[in-house]
Amino acid sequence: MQDRVDPRVEIGVALMVIVIAAIALFETRDIPPGSFEPLGSAPVPQATAALIIVMAVGLIVRACLDRRPVARPPREGLLDAGAVLLLTLLYVSAMHYRLTTFAVMTTIYLVLLIGTLIRFKPRSMPFVLALAAVVGFGSQYIFTRVFVVDLPGL
Amino acid sequence: MEAVLSGLGGGLGLVFAPMAFFFVVLGTVLGIVVGAIPGLTGAMLIALTLPLTYYMLPTDAVVLLIGMYVGSITGGLITATLLRMPGTPSNVMTTFDGYPLARSGKPGRALGLGIAASFAGGIISWVFLLLLAKPLSIWATRFGPFEYFTLIMMAMVLIASVSQGNLVKGLVAGLLGMLVSMPGVDPSAGQPRLTFDWYMLNGGLKLLPVLIGVFAVSQIISDVLDLGRKIERVESQRTGILLPIRDWIKYGANMLRSGLIGTLVGILPGVGASIGSVIAYTTTKNLSKTPEEFGKGSEAGIVASETANNATVGGALIPLIAMGIPGSVIDAILIGALMIHSITPGPALFITNGDVVYAMIAACLVANFVMLAVMVASTGWVAKLAYVPRTYLLPVIIVFCVIGSFGLDNVMFDVWVMLIFGVIGFGLERARYPLGPFVIGFVLAPLMEAKLRTGLMMTGGSITPMFTRPIALSFLIVAIVLLVWPLVGEWRRRRAAAASATA
Repeated sequence: MQDRVDPRVEIGVALMVIVIAAIALFETRDIPPGSFEPLGSAPVPQATAALIIVMAVGLIVRACLDRRPVARPPREGLLDAGAVLLLTLLYVSAMHYRLTTFAVMTTIYLVLLIGTLIRFKPRSMPFVLALAAVVGFGSQYIFTRVFVVDLPGL
Repeated sequence: MEAVLSGLGGGLGLVFAPMAFFFVVLGTVLGIVVGAIPGLTGAMLIALTLPLTYYMLPTDAVVLLIGMYVGSITGGLITATLLRMPGTPSNVMTTFDGYPLARSGKPGRALGLGIAASFAGGIISWVFLLLLAKPLSIWATRFGPFEYFTLIMMAMVLIASVSQGNLVKGLVAGLLGMLVSMPGVDPSAGQPRLTFDWYMLNGGLKLLPVLIGVFAVSQIISDVLDLGRKIERVESQRTGILLPIRDWIKYGANMLRSGLIGTLVGILPGVGASIGSVIAYTTTKNLSKTPEEFGKGSEAGIVASETANNATVGGALIPLIAMGIPGSVIDAILIGALMIHSITPGPALFITNGDVVYAMIAACLVANFVMLAVMVASTGWVAKLAYVPRTYLLPVIIVFCVIGSFGLDNVMFDVWVMLIFGVIGFGLERARYPLGPFVIGFVLAPLMEAKLRTGLMMTGGSITPMFTRPIALSFLIVAIVLLVWPLVGEWRRRRAAAASATA
């Protein structure tokens, strides 16, 4: 029914899970035992993290033994996904450092991201610019004036 | 029964108040629209809508979200039938027969069957919701901490074992969800844990940014990978959209059976609409006199799939209302919505917030009627939504994800949490870890741990009551069986394979 998972993806994700669990396990080492109740704060996260690590190691071993061929996603799709991640990271960072107003940052972000996804086709760019401005400035107006919600940015 | 009916009357009164009714209609329409756009899901819509509900009355908020829930499960049938693209995962089985029937020149008939079946499924499960929720909640008041602990454990194992076929991945996802719910000040001992001496983590990771990240951002990244996919299309037709009475009678038994299956599957904690749809479809095929027609445009197949997936909605609300245990991923989000409004789901909900509970039950009924009306009237237009270019839509949704996460407490930390969990969710999905157990683990872990520690305090550290109290022991046995069964099945399969290889 479903395509098989690329063993490299399988191993990479299992490693990510192991790292998260290992960090949690390490962080719980100094938690003192409970004084008013038998269990204390540490055993539940420790047991959870340990179980995750054991099972994730099992998944890695299984992925390493699996030699069957797999279908990989098209390279273009991967590049697009990478662009989404990178531009979103820059967008959130810009808001974190309050570089300018939400409306301006959102408009620039949308122009760049949609532009990247449509390969900056000149015929579509005027529409993209208009859409980005409407979403950026329109949402700033609606959220701050109508819903009276704060937005990130200056 | 009298109390239930009078409660329902009160609930209907609340739902038919102008504002609440507007929200039910709005929620159902938005749900249908989002369900009809492949790649967007009801969970995503509801997670993104949560921040807007802070400013609403609790009743308005829950009726809006329930409308979305009902609408999103149904909306997916349009694209499943006309484009062979299930709008939501629960409509996958509908594509097998809906699309071939539509291609054979009967798109209106295919849609009409799906709409009628969706309505029937919604109503059948609603009857069970109305009749079972209160008695179950009364029964659940007998639960002590060990019963609750073992019930949640059973729910976790259940969802892990049925989510996507891989038990270990389901368990890892569930445990990971539990682990990421643990940072913050431990409420039992009052001391911080897993905070890395970082004050932002003292309050723990909030549900909303995690949900938006895992369901919306990760889905957007996945959708971007799939942007180049070509869509096959059958034009919509109005002929046959309204199902004649004789067809309701003809498919009545199928609807009833599939509705019951969907409701039962929905009641099982954490098991969603997709599984209900698969089981009902397979059962109908096995009972059919013409099983060879399934997959080639069988009307019974469409009816079974759509009745069951809609029936899971009412079914899944039963454990949520009665015990505070989510019956599906969307129900886990609904728990978050209730908590935002200081409403704690659980057996006492009928007593503490009876008006909200009956408003939820009434909204479920009204939303089904709204769904029927909207679908019959506007299927042709809704079908066109599938052509909204995703290259324009997905980036705009990311902007709303940012606004939703930031709006929670006006801190950028929540936006970063959303982004990080978007990447984690994307990674998990790429490696086919089910996301349902992750979210349900995240929602249920604090309750599970609190119950365990309360129980241990009561018994001076002994877990013996888990084996001596009948209800707790029953849940424990079911959890163990659910855990061991797939492993035994796998072992038997391998042994059979080895035996046939040597022969």
